[in-house]
Amino acid sequence: MKTFSRYPLYFIVPAFLLYAVLFIYPTAAGFYYSFTDWSSYSKEINFIGMENFSRLFTEGVMQTAIRNTLIFAVAVTVLVNVVGLTLALMLNERTLLGSFYRTAFFIPVVIASIIVGYIFMAILNPEYGILNKTLRAIGLDALAMNWLPDTRTALWSIIGTEVWKSAGFAMIIYLSGLKTIPRDLIEQAMVDGAHYLTRFRHIVFPLLAPAFTVNFLLTVIGSLKVFEIVFVLTGGGPGYATEVINTFVYRNFAKGMWGYATSASIMLTLIVSVVAVSLLIVLRKREIEL
Amino acid sequence: MRWKRGARNQLLLELLLIAWALIVLVPFYMILINAFKDTGEAGKFGLGLPSEWMWENFSAVFRKGNILRGYANSLLIAGCTLVLASLSAAMAAFCIQRNNHRFTNFIYYVFVLGLVIPVALIPTIKLMMNLHIHNTYPGMILFYSAVLLPFSVFLITGFLKTVTRELDDSAIIDGCGPIRMFAYVILPLLQPVMVTACLFIVMSVWNDFMGPFYLLSDSSKWTVTVSVFSYVNQFGTNWNLVFADILIVITPVLVFYFFLQEHIVEGMTAGAVKG
Repeated sequence: MKTFSRYPLYFIVPAFLLYAVLFIYPTAAGFYYSFTDWSSYSKEINFIGMENFSRLFTEGVMQTAIRNTLIFAVAVTVLVNVVGLTLALMLNERTLLGSFYRTAFFIPVVIASIIVGYIFMAILNPEYGILNKTLRAIGLDALAMNWLPDTRTALWSIIGTEVWKSAGFAMIIYLSGLKTIPRDLIEQAMVDGAHYLTRFRHIVFPLLAPAFTVNFLLTVIGSLKVFEIVFVLTGGGPGYATEVINTFVYRNFAKGMWGYATSASIMLTLIVSVVAVSLLIVLRKREIEL
Repeated sequence: MRWKRGARNQLLLELLLIAWALIVLVPFYMILINAFKDTGEAGKFGLGLPSEWMWENFSAVFRKGNILRGYANSLLIAGCTLVLASLSAAMAAFCIQRNNHRFTNFIYYVFVLGLVIPVALIPTIKLMMNLHIHNTYPGMILFYSAVLLPFSVFLITGFLKTVTRELDDSAIIDGCGPIRMFAYVILPLLQPVMVTACLFIVMSVWNDFMGPFYLLSDSSKWTVTVSVFSYVNQFGTNWNLVFADILIVITPVLVFYFFLQEHIVEGMTAGAVKG
Protein backbone atom coordinates (compact mmCIF):
# COMPACT_ATOMS: atom_id res chain seq x y z
CA MET A 1 0.00 0.00 0.00
CA LYS A 2 2.83 2.32 0.91
CA THR A 3 4.28 2.17 -2.61
CA PHE A 4 1.70 4.44 -4.21
CA SER A 5 1.06 6.81 -1.29
CA ARG A 6 3.00 9.71 -2.75
CA TYR A 7 1.63 9.42 -6.24
CA PRO A 8 -1.70 7.67 -5.75
CA LEU A 9 -3.07 5.35 -8.40
CA TYR A 10 -6.37 7.19 -8.75
CA PHE A 11 -4.53 9.60 -11.05
CA ILE A 12 -4.49 6.88 -13.70
CA VAL A 13 -8.17 6.05 -13.32
CA PRO A 14 -9.85 8.66 -15.62
CA ALA A 15 -7.49 8.02 -18.54
CA PHE A 16 -7.43 4.27 -18.14
CA LEU A 17 -11.17 4.01 -17.73
CA LEU A 18 -11.74 5.98 -20.94
CA TYR A 19 -9.13 3.96 -22.80
CA ALA A 20 -10.37 0.62 -21.49
CA VAL A 21 -14.02 1.26 -22.31
CA LEU A 22 -13.68 3.00 -25.67
CA PHE A 23 -10.50 1.47 -27.07
CA ILE A 24 -9.59 -1.84 -25.46
CA TYR A 25 -13.14 -3.13 -25.15
CA PRO A 26 -14.10 -2.49 -28.82
CA THR A 27 -10.84 -4.08 -29.95
CA ALA A 28 -11.49 -7.17 -27.83
CA ALA A 29 -15.15 -7.23 -28.89
CA GLY A 30 -13.95 -7.10 -32.50
CA PHE A 31 -12.15 -10.40 -32.02
CA TYR A 32 -15.39 -11.91 -30.76
CA TYR A 33 -17.60 -10.42 -33.51
CA SER A 34 -15.23 -11.71 -36.18
CA PHE A 35 -16.38 -15.23 -35.25
CA THR A 36 -20.09 -14.32 -35.51
CA ASP A 37 -22.72 -13.71 -38.20
CA TRP A 38 -23.47 -10.21 -36.83
CA SER A 39 -25.30 -8.31 -39.59
CA SER A 40 -28.05 -5.84 -40.33
CA TYR A 41 -30.28 -8.67 -41.54
CA SER A 42 -30.89 -10.33 -38.22
CA LYS A 43 -31.30 -9.26 -34.60
CA GLU A 44 -29.43 -12.29 -33.36
CA ILE A 45 -25.68 -12.65 -33.25
CA ASN A 46 -24.60 -16.27 -33.59
CA PHE A 47 -21.18 -17.77 -33.13
CA ILE A 48 -20.12 -19.35 -36.43
CA GLY A 49 -16.50 -20.29 -35.73
CA MET A 50 -13.99 -19.73 -38.51
CA GLU A 51 -16.60 -19.29 -41.24
CA ASN A 52 -15.88 -15.56 -41.84
CA PHE A 53 -12.17 -16.20 -42.14
CA SER A 54 -12.53 -19.13 -44.52
CA ARG A 55 -14.87 -16.98 -46.61
CA LEU A 56 -12.33 -14.14 -46.59
CA PHE A 57 -9.77 -16.39 -48.18
CA THR A 58 -11.99 -18.22 -50.63
CA GLU A 59 -13.79 -15.20 -52.09
CA GLY A 60 -10.56 -13.81 -53.48
CA VAL A 61 -11.23 -10.09 -53.00
CA MET A 62 -9.54 -10.10 -49.61
CA GLN A 63 -6.39 -11.59 -51.13
CA THR A 64 -6.36 -8.77 -53.68
CA ALA A 65 -6.93 -6.27 -50.87
CA ILE A 66 -4.06 -7.66 -48.79
CA ARG A 67 -1.76 -7.72 -51.81
CA ASN A 68 -2.63 -4.12 -52.74
CA THR A 69 -2.23 -2.96 -49.14
CA LEU A 70 1.21 -4.51 -48.95
CA ILE A 71 2.31 -3.10 -52.33
CA PHE A 72 1.02 0.30 -51.23
CA ALA A 73 2.79 0.12 -47.86
CA VAL A 74 6.13 -0.99 -49.29
CA ALA A 75 6.11 1.52 -52.16
CA VAL A 76 4.97 4.42 -49.97
CA THR A 77 7.51 3.60 -47.26
CA VAL A 78 10.40 3.43 -49.72
CA LEU A 79 9.39 6.55 -51.65
CA VAL A 80 8.47 8.68 -48.63
CA ASN A 81 11.80 7.88 -47.02
CA VAL A 82 13.82 8.48 -50.19
CA VAL A 83 12.09 11.80 -50.92
CA GLY A 84 12.02 12.85 -47.25
CA LEU A 85 15.69 12.07 -46.72
CA THR A 86 16.69 13.80 -49.97
CA LEU A 87 14.76 16.92 -49.00
CA ALA A 88 16.26 16.88 -45.50
CA LEU A 89 19.81 16.52 -46.85
CA MET A 90 19.24 19.41 -49.25
CA LEU A 91 17.76 21.63 -46.55
CA ASN A 92 20.67 20.82 -44.28
CA GLU A 93 22.91 22.69 -46.73
CA ARG A 94 22.94 26.47 -47.05
CA THR A 95 20.15 27.48 -49.44
CA LEU A 96 18.65 30.73 -50.62
CA LEU A 97 15.20 30.24 -49.10
CA GLY A 98 15.91 27.70 -46.34
CA SER A 99 13.01 28.22 -43.94
CA PHE A 100 10.57 28.98 -46.75
CA TYR A 101 11.19 25.53 -48.22
CA ARG A 102 10.78 23.89 -44.84
CA THR A 103 7.47 25.67 -44.24
CA ALA A 104 6.19 24.85 -47.72
CA PHE A 105 7.17 21.17 -47.69
CA PHE A 106 5.28 20.49 -44.47
CA ILE A 107 1.98 22.03 -45.65
CA PRO A 108 0.52 18.82 -47.14
CA VAL A 109 1.02 17.09 -43.78
CA VAL A 110 -1.48 19.41 -42.06
CA ILE A 111 -4.16 18.97 -44.74
CA ALA A 112 -6.76 16.24 -44.14
CA SER A 113 -6.27 13.10 -46.27
CA ILE A 114 -9.83 13.30 -47.59
CA ILE A 115 -9.14 16.78 -48.97
CA VAL A 116 -5.82 15.68 -50.45
CA GLY A 117 -7.85 12.99 -52.19
CA TYR A 118 -10.14 15.52 -53.85
CA ILE A 119 -7.20 17.73 -54.83
CA PHE A 120 -5.53 14.82 -56.62
CA MET A 121 -8.77 13.77 -58.26
CA ALA A 122 -8.50 17.10 -60.08
CA ILE A 123 -4.76 16.89 -60.68
CA LEU A 124 -4.96 13.37 -62.13
CA ASN A 125 -7.84 14.16 -64.52
CA PRO A 126 -6.62 12.56 -67.77
CA GLU A 127 -7.84 15.32 -70.07
CA TYR A 128 -7.42 18.59 -68.18
CA GLY A 129 -5.52 17.70 -64.98
CA ILE A 130 -2.35 19.69 -64.36
CA LEU A 131 -0.24 16.54 -64.24
CA ASN A 132 -0.98 15.50 -67.81
CA LYS A 133 -0.97 19.11 -69.01
CA THR A 134 2.52 19.54 -67.59
CA LEU A 135 3.72 16.27 -69.11
CA ARG A 136 2.39 17.28 -72.54
CA ALA A 137 3.89 20.76 -72.23
CA ILE A 138 7.38 19.37 -71.67
CA GLY A 139 7.03 16.87 -74.50
CA LEU A 140 6.46 13.76 -72.40
CA ASP A 141 3.12 12.94 -74.04
CA ALA A 142 3.89 9.23 -73.75
CA LEU A 143 3.82 9.52 -69.96
CA ALA A 144 0.42 11.22 -69.89
CA MET A 145 -1.64 8.26 -68.71
CA ASN A 146 -5.29 7.81 -67.83
CA TRP A 147 -4.11 7.36 -64.20
CA LEU A 148 -7.12 6.52 -62.01
CA PRO A 149 -9.46 4.73 -64.47
CA ASP A 150 -6.62 2.54 -65.74
CA THR A 151 -6.02 -0.65 -63.73
CA ARG A 152 -2.29 -0.51 -64.50
CA THR A 153 -1.71 2.99 -63.13
CA ALA A 154 -4.47 3.45 -60.53
CA LEU A 155 -2.61 2.06 -57.53
CA TRP A 156 0.55 3.96 -58.45
CA SER A 157 -1.41 7.20 -58.74
CA ILE A 158 -2.64 6.67 -55.18
CA ILE A 159 0.89 5.85 -54.02
CA GLY A 160 2.11 9.10 -55.60
CA THR A 161 -0.63 11.05 -53.83
CA GLU A 162 0.35 9.60 -50.46
CA VAL A 163 4.03 10.40 -51.07
CA TRP A 164 3.11 14.00 -51.89
CA LYS A 165 1.25 14.23 -48.59
CA SER A 166 3.71 12.47 -46.29
CA ALA A 167 7.22 13.27 -47.56
CA GLY A 168 7.33 16.50 -45.52
CA PHE A 169 6.73 14.57 -42.32
CA ALA A 170 9.68 12.24 -42.91
CA MET A 171 11.76 15.27 -43.93
CA ILE A 172 11.24 16.97 -40.56
CA ILE A 173 12.26 13.86 -38.64
CA TYR A 174 15.37 13.38 -40.78
CA LEU A 175 16.21 17.07 -40.37
CA SER A 176 16.10 16.82 -36.59
CA GLY A 177 18.25 13.69 -36.87
CA LEU A 178 20.77 15.56 -39.03
CA LYS A 179 20.94 18.37 -36.47
CA THR A 180 22.27 15.92 -33.89
CA ILE A 181 25.31 15.01 -36.02
CA PRO A 182 28.32 16.98 -34.73
CA ARG A 183 29.71 19.35 -37.36
CA ASP A 184 33.35 18.60 -36.46
CA LEU A 185 32.79 14.99 -37.41
CA ILE A 186 31.83 16.02 -40.94
CA GLU A 187 34.60 18.62 -41.12
CA GLN A 188 37.19 16.12 -39.95
CA ALA A 189 36.08 13.75 -42.71
CA MET A 190 36.32 16.58 -45.25
CA VAL A 191 39.85 17.32 -44.10
CA ASP A 192 40.63 13.66 -44.60
CA GLY A 193 39.39 14.10 -48.15
CA ALA A 194 36.19 12.06 -47.90
CA HIS A 195 33.85 12.63 -50.81
CA TYR A 196 30.19 13.62 -50.17
CA LEU A 197 28.92 10.12 -50.89
CA THR A 198 31.60 8.54 -48.72
CA ARG A 199 30.72 10.88 -45.85
CA PHE A 200 27.06 10.05 -46.31
CA ARG A 201 27.67 6.31 -46.39
CA HIS A 202 30.02 6.13 -43.41
CA ILE A 203 29.03 9.00 -41.11
CA VAL A 204 25.66 10.56 -41.86
CA PHE A 205 23.63 7.48 -42.66
CA PRO A 206 24.70 5.39 -39.63
CA LEU A 207 24.06 8.34 -37.29
CA LEU A 208 20.60 8.78 -38.79
CA ALA A 209 19.65 5.26 -37.74
CA PRO A 210 17.19 6.35 -34.99
CA ALA A 211 15.42 8.79 -37.35
CA PHE A 212 15.35 6.05 -39.96
CA THR A 213 13.76 3.58 -37.53
CA VAL A 214 11.06 6.04 -36.53
CA ASN A 215 10.26 7.09 -40.10
CA PHE A 216 10.19 3.55 -41.35
CA LEU A 217 7.90 2.34 -38.58
CA LEU A 218 5.51 5.29 -38.76
CA THR A 219 5.18 5.15 -42.54
CA VAL A 220 4.65 1.40 -42.61
CA ILE A 221 2.03 1.46 -39.85
CA GLY A 222 0.28 4.52 -41.29
CA SER A 223 0.20 3.23 -44.84
CA LEU A 224 -1.13 -0.21 -43.91
CA LYS A 225 -4.12 1.62 -42.42
CA VAL A 226 -4.72 3.71 -45.58
CA PHE A 227 -8.37 4.50 -46.30
CA GLU A 228 -9.43 8.06 -47.15
CA ILE A 229 -7.22 8.64 -50.20
CA VAL A 230 -8.20 5.33 -51.82
CA PHE A 231 -11.84 5.80 -50.86
CA VAL A 232 -12.04 9.23 -52.50
CA LEU A 233 -9.87 8.60 -55.56
CA THR A 234 -11.08 5.18 -56.70
CA GLY A 235 -13.26 3.60 -54.01
CA GLY A 236 -11.13 0.47 -54.54
CA GLY A 237 -11.71 0.32 -58.30
CA PRO A 238 -11.49 0.05 -61.23
CA GLY A 239 -12.73 -3.46 -60.46
CA TYR A 240 -10.71 -4.29 -57.37
CA ALA A 241 -7.45 -2.90 -58.76
CA THR A 242 -6.92 -0.56 -55.80
CA GLU A 243 -8.94 -2.38 -53.14
CA VAL A 244 -7.10 -2.17 -49.80
CA ILE A 245 -8.08 -3.80 -46.52
CA ASN A 246 -9.84 -0.73 -45.15
CA THR A 247 -11.92 -0.18 -48.31
CA PHE A 248 -12.83 -3.88 -48.21
CA VAL A 249 -13.92 -3.44 -44.58
CA TYR A 250 -16.02 -0.43 -45.51
CA ARG A 251 -17.58 -2.13 -48.54
CA ASN A 252 -18.83 -5.00 -46.39
CA PHE A 253 -19.78 -2.73 -43.52
CA ALA A 254 -21.95 -0.70 -45.90
CA LYS A 255 -23.62 -3.93 -47.09
CA GLY A 256 -24.58 -4.58 -43.47
CA MET A 257 -22.26 -7.58 -43.06
CA TRP A 258 -20.77 -6.35 -39.83
CA GLY A 259 -19.31 -9.59 -38.53
CA TYR A 260 -17.64 -10.30 -41.86
CA ALA A 261 -16.30 -6.72 -42.10
CA THR A 262 -14.97 -7.01 -38.56
CA SER A 263 -13.11 -10.21 -39.41
CA ALA A 264 -11.38 -8.35 -42.25
CA SER A 265 -10.38 -5.52 -39.91
CA ILE A 266 -9.06 -8.10 -37.43
CA MET A 267 -6.80 -9.30 -40.25
CA LEU A 268 -5.52 -5.74 -40.59
CA THR A 269 -4.89 -5.55 -36.84
CA LEU A 270 -2.91 -8.78 -37.02
CA ILE A 271 -0.90 -7.67 -40.06
CA VAL A 272 -0.09 -4.28 -38.52
CA SER A 273 0.96 -5.85 -35.22
CA VAL A 274 3.16 -8.52 -36.79
CA VAL A 275 4.80 -6.06 -39.20
CA ALA A 276 5.36 -3.43 -36.49
CA VAL A 277 6.88 -5.83 -33.98
CA SER A 278 9.17 -7.57 -36.46
CA LEU A 279 10.29 -4.27 -37.99
CA LEU A 280 11.02 -2.84 -34.55
CA ILE A 281 13.18 -5.85 -33.68
CA VAL A 282 15.07 -5.75 -36.99
CA LEU A 283 15.61 -1.98 -37.02
CA ARG A 284 16.67 -1.76 -33.36
CA LYS A 285 19.21 -4.50 -33.97
CA ARG A 286 20.48 -2.65 -37.00
CA GLU A 287 20.78 0.59 -34.99
CA ILE A 288 23.07 -1.14 -32.53
CA GLU A 289 25.17 -2.80 -35.22
CA LEU A 290 25.79 0.43 -37.11
CA MET B 1 37.70 24.88 -61.17
CA ARG B 2 36.73 23.89 -57.62
CA TRP B 3 34.67 27.01 -57.17
CA LYS B 4 32.88 26.39 -60.45
CA ARG B 5 31.83 22.91 -59.43
CA GLY B 6 30.60 24.24 -56.10
CA ALA B 7 28.48 26.86 -57.83
CA ARG B 8 27.01 24.29 -60.19
CA ASN B 9 26.05 22.03 -57.30
CA GLN B 10 24.51 24.98 -55.49
CA LEU B 11 22.43 25.81 -58.56
CA LEU B 12 21.28 22.20 -58.92
CA LEU B 13 20.35 22.16 -55.24
CA GLU B 14 18.23 25.30 -55.53
CA LEU B 15 16.56 24.02 -58.69
CA LEU B 16 15.61 20.73 -57.07
CA LEU B 17 14.23 22.52 -54.02
CA ILE B 18 12.23 24.93 -56.15
CA ALA B 19 10.90 21.99 -58.18
CA TRP B 20 9.57 20.27 -55.07
CA ALA B 21 8.21 23.57 -53.75
CA LEU B 22 6.27 23.94 -57.00
CA ILE B 23 4.99 20.37 -56.78
CA VAL B 24 3.70 21.13 -53.31
CA LEU B 25 2.38 24.65 -53.86
CA VAL B 26 0.92 24.64 -57.40
CA PRO B 27 -2.01 22.40 -56.37
CA PHE B 28 -3.00 24.98 -53.76
CA TYR B 29 -2.77 27.75 -56.31
CA MET B 30 -4.93 25.64 -58.62
CA ILE B 31 -7.62 25.37 -55.93
CA LEU B 32 -7.46 29.07 -55.17
CA ILE B 33 -7.73 30.32 -58.72
CA ASN B 34 -10.33 27.81 -59.89
CA ALA B 35 -12.58 28.47 -56.91
CA PHE B 36 -13.36 31.82 -58.55
CA LYS B 37 -14.29 30.45 -62.00
CA ASP B 38 -17.60 29.25 -63.38
CA THR B 39 -18.29 25.52 -63.55
CA GLY B 40 -17.17 25.01 -67.15
CA GLU B 41 -13.95 26.95 -66.79
CA ALA B 42 -13.05 25.37 -63.43
CA GLY B 43 -13.51 21.90 -64.94
CA LYS B 44 -10.53 22.61 -67.19
CA PHE B 45 -8.29 23.24 -64.14
CA GLY B 46 -6.43 26.04 -65.93
CA LEU B 47 -3.91 28.08 -63.99
CA GLY B 48 -4.83 31.37 -65.66
CA LEU B 49 -6.97 34.04 -64.05
CA PRO B 50 -10.75 33.55 -64.22
CA SER B 51 -12.46 35.32 -67.14
CA GLU B 52 -14.99 36.49 -64.59
CA TRP B 53 -14.45 36.46 -60.81
CA MET B 54 -17.31 34.43 -59.35
CA TRP B 55 -17.45 35.53 -55.73
CA GLU B 56 -20.91 34.00 -55.49
CA ASN B 57 -19.30 30.52 -55.49
CA PHE B 58 -18.44 31.14 -51.87
CA SER B 59 -21.89 32.28 -50.82
CA ALA B 60 -23.34 29.25 -52.64
CA VAL B 61 -21.06 26.95 -50.66
CA PHE B 62 -21.88 28.73 -47.41
CA ARG B 63 -25.59 28.30 -48.07
CA LYS B 64 -25.53 24.64 -49.06
CA GLY B 65 -22.34 23.23 -47.59
CA ASN B 66 -23.20 23.23 -43.88
CA ILE B 67 -19.96 25.12 -43.35
CA LEU B 68 -20.90 27.00 -40.19
CA ARG B 69 -22.53 23.96 -38.71
CA GLY B 70 -19.40 21.95 -39.54
CA TYR B 71 -17.15 24.55 -37.93
CA ALA B 72 -19.29 24.62 -34.80
CA ASN B 73 -19.16 20.81 -34.61
CA SER B 74 -15.38 20.74 -35.14
CA LEU B 75 -14.78 23.39 -32.50
CA LEU B 76 -17.07 21.77 -29.98
CA ILE B 77 -15.71 18.25 -30.42
CA ALA B 78 -12.06 19.28 -30.72
CA GLY B 79 -12.32 21.68 -27.76
CA CYS B 80 -13.89 19.21 -25.36
CA THR B 81 -11.59 16.38 -26.48
CA LEU B 82 -8.63 18.66 -25.91
CA VAL B 83 -9.54 19.34 -22.28
CA LEU B 84 -10.56 15.79 -21.45
CA ALA B 85 -7.70 14.00 -23.21
CA SER B 86 -4.86 16.32 -22.23
CA LEU B 87 -5.80 16.56 -18.55
CA SER B 88 -6.48 12.88 -18.03
CA ALA B 89 -3.31 12.03 -19.98
CA ALA B 90 -1.23 14.41 -17.85
CA MET B 91 -2.58 12.86 -14.65
CA ALA B 92 -1.94 9.34 -15.87
CA ALA B 93 1.54 10.21 -17.13
CA PHE B 94 2.36 11.83 -13.78
CA CYS B 95 1.36 8.70 -11.89
CA ILE B 96 3.11 6.37 -14.35
CA GLN B 97 6.40 8.23 -14.54
CA ARG B 98 6.74 9.15 -10.85
CA ASN B 99 5.86 5.73 -9.48
CA ASN B 100 7.94 3.86 -12.05
CA HIS B 101 6.54 0.67 -10.55
CA ARG B 102 6.00 -2.64 -12.30
CA PHE B 103 2.25 -2.13 -12.29
CA THR B 104 2.26 1.44 -13.62
CA ASN B 105 4.83 0.50 -16.28
CA PHE B 106 2.52 -2.28 -17.39
CA ILE B 107 -0.32 0.26 -17.75
CA TYR B 108 2.06 2.43 -19.77
CA TYR B 109 2.74 -0.39 -22.22
CA VAL B 110 -0.97 -1.03 -22.57
CA PHE B 111 -1.35 2.62 -23.58
CA VAL B 112 1.58 2.40 -26.02
CA LEU B 113 -0.09 -0.56 -27.71
CA GLY B 114 -2.81 1.87 -28.79
CA LEU B 115 -0.25 3.76 -30.91
CA VAL B 116 0.01 0.79 -33.25
CA ILE B 117 -3.31 -1.06 -33.23
CA PRO B 118 -5.98 0.22 -35.65
CA VAL B 119 -9.14 1.59 -34.02
CA ALA B 120 -11.98 -0.97 -34.00
CA LEU B 121 -14.68 1.28 -35.43
CA ILE B 122 -17.46 -1.20 -36.16
CA PRO B 123 -17.57 -2.68 -32.64
CA THR B 124 -17.42 0.89 -31.30
CA ILE B 125 -20.76 1.64 -32.99
CA LYS B 126 -22.42 -1.19 -31.10
CA LEU B 127 -20.77 -0.15 -27.85
CA MET B 128 -21.98 3.43 -28.30
CA MET B 129 -25.50 2.23 -28.98
CA ASN B 130 -25.47 0.16 -25.81
CA LEU B 131 -24.18 3.12 -23.81
CA HIS B 132 -26.77 5.42 -25.47
CA ILE B 133 -24.06 7.78 -26.70
CA HIS B 134 -24.31 6.85 -30.38
CA ASN B 135 -24.83 9.90 -32.64
CA THR B 136 -24.15 12.30 -29.78
CA TYR B 137 -21.45 14.88 -29.17
CA PRO B 138 -20.40 13.32 -25.83
CA GLY B 139 -20.01 10.01 -27.66
CA MET B 140 -17.62 11.51 -30.20
CA ILE B 141 -15.69 13.40 -27.53
CA LEU B 142 -15.21 10.28 -25.41
CA PHE B 143 -14.23 8.28 -28.51
CA TYR B 144 -11.60 10.78 -29.66
CA SER B 145 -10.24 11.15 -26.13
CA ALA B 146 -9.76 7.41 -25.86
CA VAL B 147 -8.13 7.16 -29.29
CA LEU B 148 -5.75 10.09 -28.70
CA LEU B 149 -4.79 9.13 -25.14
CA PRO B 150 -1.98 6.72 -26.10
CA PHE B 151 -0.03 9.40 -27.93
CA SER B 152 -0.69 12.04 -25.25
CA VAL B 153 0.33 9.74 -22.40
CA PHE B 154 3.44 8.68 -24.34
CA LEU B 155 4.45 12.28 -25.03
CA ILE B 156 3.84 13.65 -21.53
CA THR B 157 5.51 10.69 -19.80
CA GLY B 158 8.61 11.31 -21.90
CA PHE B 159 8.64 14.97 -20.91
CA LEU B 160 8.10 14.27 -17.21
CA LYS B 161 11.41 12.41 -17.09
CA THR B 162 13.08 15.81 -17.53
CA VAL B 163 11.09 17.45 -14.71
CA THR B 164 13.04 17.25 -11.47
CA ARG B 165 11.54 15.53 -8.43
CA GLU B 166 13.03 18.05 -6.02
CA LEU B 167 10.02 20.27 -6.50
CA ASP B 168 7.75 17.35 -5.55
CA ASP B 169 9.67 17.01 -2.30
CA SER B 170 9.44 20.67 -1.39
CA ALA B 171 5.73 20.64 -2.22
CA ILE B 172 5.23 17.75 0.18
CA ILE B 173 7.24 19.50 2.89
CA ASP B 174 5.03 22.54 2.39
CA GLY B 175 2.06 20.30 3.11
CA CYS B 176 0.68 19.75 -0.38
CA GLY B 177 -1.44 16.67 -0.98
CA PRO B 178 -1.01 14.79 -4.29
CA ILE B 179 -3.82 16.67 -6.01
CA ARG B 180 -2.55 20.12 -5.07
CA MET B 181 1.00 19.11 -5.95
CA PHE B 182 -0.18 18.05 -9.40
CA ALA B 183 -2.33 21.13 -9.99
CA TYR B 184 0.01 23.82 -8.63
CA VAL B 185 3.50 22.39 -9.09
CA ILE B 186 3.52 19.81 -11.88
CA LEU B 187 0.92 21.12 -14.31
CA PRO B 188 2.54 24.57 -14.72
CA LEU B 189 5.86 22.87 -15.41
CA LEU B 190 4.24 20.73 -18.09
CA GLN B 191 3.15 23.74 -20.10
CA PRO B 192 5.44 23.23 -23.15
CA VAL B 193 4.49 19.60 -23.62
CA MET B 194 0.83 20.36 -22.97
CA VAL B 195 0.87 22.87 -25.84
CA THR B 196 2.41 20.20 -28.08
CA ALA B 197 -0.10 17.55 -27.01
CA CYS B 198 -3.05 19.93 -27.39
CA LEU B 199 -2.08 20.91 -30.93
CA PHE B 200 -1.68 17.27 -31.83
CA ILE B 201 -5.15 16.54 -30.43
CA VAL B 202 -6.80 19.46 -32.24
CA MET B 203 -5.15 18.64 -35.58
CA SER B 204 -6.09 14.97 -35.27
CA VAL B 205 -9.75 15.67 -34.54
CA TRP B 206 -9.94 18.39 -37.17
CA ASN B 207 -8.53 16.23 -39.97
CA ASP B 208 -10.14 12.93 -39.03
CA PHE B 209 -12.58 11.40 -41.47
CA MET B 210 -13.16 7.78 -40.46
CA GLY B 211 -14.44 8.57 -36.96
CA PRO B 212 -17.49 10.67 -37.93
CA PHE B 213 -17.94 8.67 -41.13
CA TYR B 214 -18.44 5.39 -39.26
CA LEU B 215 -19.75 6.60 -35.92
CA LEU B 216 -22.11 9.45 -36.82
CA SER B 217 -25.02 8.50 -39.04
CA ASP B 218 -26.50 11.88 -38.15
CA SER B 219 -24.71 14.14 -40.65
CA SER B 220 -25.75 17.32 -38.84
CA LYS B 221 -23.03 16.49 -36.29
CA TRP B 222 -20.28 15.98 -38.89
CA THR B 223 -17.09 17.99 -38.51
CA VAL B 224 -16.11 20.52 -41.16
CA THR B 225 -13.61 18.19 -42.86
CA VAL B 226 -16.27 15.53 -43.32
CA SER B 227 -18.67 18.17 -44.66
CA VAL B 228 -16.47 18.38 -47.79
CA PHE B 229 -17.26 14.72 -48.43
CA SER B 230 -21.00 15.21 -47.99
CA TYR B 231 -20.88 18.32 -50.17
CA VAL B 232 -19.24 16.44 -53.05
CA ASN B 233 -21.66 13.56 -52.51
CA GLN B 234 -24.69 15.82 -52.80
CA PHE B 235 -23.66 18.29 -55.46
CA GLY B 236 -21.28 16.23 -57.54
CA THR B 237 -18.02 17.49 -58.89
CA ASN B 238 -18.81 21.06 -59.86
CA TRP B 239 -15.17 21.82 -59.37
CA ASN B 240 -15.53 25.55 -58.80
CA LEU B 241 -17.82 24.89 -55.84
CA VAL B 242 -15.78 21.94 -54.56
CA PHE B 243 -12.64 24.08 -54.66
CA ALA B 244 -14.42 26.97 -52.93
CA ASP B 245 -15.58 24.52 -50.26
CA ILE B 246 -12.07 23.08 -49.84
CA LEU B 247 -10.66 26.60 -49.66
CA ILE B 248 -13.06 27.58 -46.90
CA VAL B 249 -12.20 24.44 -44.97
CA ILE B 250 -8.39 24.54 -45.30
CA THR B 251 -7.76 28.28 -44.99
CA PRO B 252 -8.10 28.35 -41.18
CA VAL B 253 -5.85 25.28 -40.92
CA LEU B 254 -3.22 27.00 -43.07
CA VAL B 255 -3.44 30.30 -41.16
CA PHE B 256 -3.20 28.38 -37.92
CA TYR B 257 -0.18 26.52 -39.32
CA PHE B 258 1.64 29.66 -40.44
CA PHE B 259 1.24 31.35 -37.06
CA LEU B 260 1.96 28.35 -34.86
CA GLN B 261 4.29 26.58 -37.25
CA GLU B 262 7.01 25.60 -34.78
CA HIS B 263 4.49 24.26 -32.29
CA ILE B 264 2.47 22.38 -34.88
CA VAL B 265 5.49 20.74 -36.47
CA GLU B 266 6.60 19.86 -32.94
CA GLY B 267 3.14 18.53 -32.10
CA MET B 268 2.96 16.28 -35.12
CA THR B 269 6.50 14.94 -34.96
CA ALA B 270 7.55 15.27 -31.30
CA GLY B 271 6.59 11.77 -30.25
CA ALA B 272 8.58 10.41 -33.13
CA VAL B 273 11.73 12.36 -32.39
CA LYS B 274 11.75 11.74 -28.66
CA GLY B 275 10.51 8.16 -28.79
